[in-house]
Amino acid sequence: MKKLILSIIFILSAAFAFAQSNPSFSPATFTAEDEVTITLDVTGTGMAGQDDVYLWMFSNDGVGGGKDALTNGQWGSSSESAKMTKIGPNKFTYKFIATTLFGQSPAELINFGFLGKSKDGTKQTIDYKPFKFDPLVFTAAQFRIFPSKLDATDMSTVYFHQNLATDQNLQRMFDVKVNLTFYNEANAVVGSKTAIVAVKESTSVYAYSFIPDRVITVPAGTKLSKFTYQFTGSVKDANGANVPTTGPVNEVVYTVFN
Amino acid sequence: MKNIKYILLALCIVSIWSCKPEEFGPIGPEQNILKELQGTWALSKVTQIDQDASTKGFPYKELDITNVYAYKDLVVAFQGETSGTPTSFTITPGNSPKISDFNTGTWTVDNAKAPTVITLKNGTASSDLTLGSYAGLRSGKFYLKKVRKSNGKIIVSYQYEFTKK
Repeated sequence: MKKLILSIIFILSAAFAFAQSNPSFSPATFTAEDEVTITLDVTGTGMAGQDDVYLWMFSNDGVGGGKDALTNGQWGSSSESAKMTKIGPNKFTYKFIATTLFGQSPAELINFGFLGKSKDGTKQTIDYKPFKFDPLVFTAAQFRIFPSKLDATDMSTVYFHQNLATDQNLQRMFDVKVNLTFYNEANAVVGSKTAIVAVKESTSVYAYSFIPDRVITVPAGTKLSKFTYQFTGSVKDANGANVPTTGPVNEVVYTVFN
Repeated sequence: MKNIKYILLALCIVSIWSCKPEEFGPIGPEQNILKELQGTWALSKVTQIDQDASTKGFPYKELDITNVYAYKDLVVAFQGETSGTPTSFTITPGNSPKISDFNTGTWTVDNAKAPTVITLKNGTASSDLTLGSYAGLRSGKFYLKKVRKSNGKIIVSYQYEFTKK
């Protein structure tokens, strides 16, 4: 029985580790102008056991303005420039610079995805997507976080720039508050806190600073993987009465520092 | 006339031979940085820096977070020998968020005369903090910087200003 439990734990750990690191990127974070190396393990996919894997890459999945990589070639005959380098059994790498690969500017590139395939397209992996590029150009937005990358031990400050709001209710919102929800690595809610009064930093900027373990109780051994924040408040209805209103829920994934 | 030629040649050789780098001592009394670091220091200011935003020239590069939590509760005491050699340290955090994973241990520096990195050690655990300008030491201020990296790239840093108690 003990052996069986240990085996299950081992298999689950191995599966979890595999799920966490495949595909991996070097550097871990990158802009559209950085040279990036993808390492892909095709074990358990339709490409397992193959010696030649070709990448089929695409940009801006689900956000509009997407293009296929210039190196893709035809589905039935991949270009040789899309061929990955074999570094071991079922393990392949591929080096690229996104602006060159997609023929798009850094401002146009938001994310990318890819799959591994045989040259003739009869075998393939699942889609791996979307992987975000770090922005090279600052874009002002109604919601933002400081610092832009952080982990669960860092001070986090969430901002609402009311002057940049596009929704009429958000433009008129007052008594601004924040809802925070924290998640573990299994994507389960660890804790949340609602209706925290936001600090009015100027006539149109609201903010709230926090360290997660000062907001919720994080159980020992629990690792937070992300949190969401939502600004809420009130607006006046036609009779002058206060009506609750809410902004969108924004997700922040924690960076892994090493 | 013939002698003058030799004398001039000898003078030239002596002049060239006598040219050598001269070591200048410090202006004023030599500063023992390690000795000046010893003592009890209270955390007086904390600045969070988004290094990624700084590198890219984005707005919102840093934020003063001193008053978000009770950072000013934190006190650090550096002990050392009379010569200046570092020995032990103690951090008394009070209600402040932690700035190190451990509160007691030993401290060392990378260079005794001109330290740039202070390493706090407790058993096998260690934590590196970068020492800022020495200029404020004599007036009772010093600065430590903690950096957070991802794949060797500094992403976030914290600058701690301490005031001598």
